[in-house]
Amino acid sequence: MTPDRFEPLDPVIHSQVRLAVLSVLIAVKEADFNYLKKETETTDGNLSTHLAKLEEAGYIRMKKSFRGKKPLTTCSIAEKGKMAFSLYLKALESYFPGGIKPV
Amino acid sequence: MDEQQAREEIQLIKSMLEKTKKAAAESGTLFIVWGVLITLALIGNYVLAYFKKYDWEWLTWVIVAGVGWVYSAIYGIRRERTQPVKTYVQTAARHLYFACGAGFLLVGLFLPWLGAYSYEAISILIAVIMGILFFVMGGIYEWSILKWFGLLWWAGAVGMSFFRDHLSQALFFTLLFIVGYLVPVFILRSKFRKEQASK
Repeated sequence: MTPDRFEPLDPVIHSQVRLAVLSVLIAVKEADFNYLKKETETTDGNLSTHLAKLEEAGYIRMKKSFRGKKPLTTCSIAEKGKMAFSLYLKALESYFPGGIKPV
Repeated sequence: MDEQQAREEIQLIKSMLEKTKKAAAESGTLFIVWGVLITLALIGNYVLAYFKKYDWEWLTWVIVAGVGWVYSAIYGIRRERTQPVKTYVQTAARHLYFACGAGFLLVGLFLPWLGAYSYEAISILIAVIMGILFFVMGGIYEWSILKWFGLLWWAGAVGMSFFRDHLSQALFFTLLFIVGYLVPVFILRSKFRKEQASK
């Protein structure tokens, strides 16, 4: 298989942190910032930048509120994000002409 | 990007999904609390039956239902506020618990109090709702063993209808409760602990 037969990957998702965030959000109704930070093993600033990119693309929604006196940011995936994630998976499949084997 | 990198991305997606599944796992805490409360009520009923004070049996259930509902409401609100992830499965499970809880109150206390049916029917109807609770939970959490306990409760409901005297029916219900409730709750709890330990 030649590289030109690979499906193009969405640049908004094609980053380890953003892919990890969307992988979490696709499976849940919403997740808070600290949970995403812990699971993606990143820093506050780095995660904020990636979340802003995803929000800007319309892939996720961010809600700011308070838990007690502490500010709380919760994220959920938007319809556009679900669609983009599904297309991204399809594009990834094109890298496995013989099908994806268990890893 | 090459095949190896694509494989790493697939691995990343899988690991994130697995982590999220663990974070949203059912701890079984509420089931344990209700299990303890119902066990206390059953012991209370046995003591009342021993002293032939059958007229006060309803009081043990009112106390158990009151304490259980207050605890469940506080637990639910606190969990809702503090849990880092909210899943659709949790929402479905919460609605199922609420629906079954309301069902227990209706068939166990309110409808008999209104005189809708005789007291002998209470255990049978409770067993039917227990069956629904475990069967649907098994479906929601994709855990077949819970569905079998649901079937056991339904079979128990049919079995209980053959007992006409109060004491035999109460003993059968106690046995059913131990096998059909305490055993699956114990399994649920140990599964949760194992999942959390492998985090």
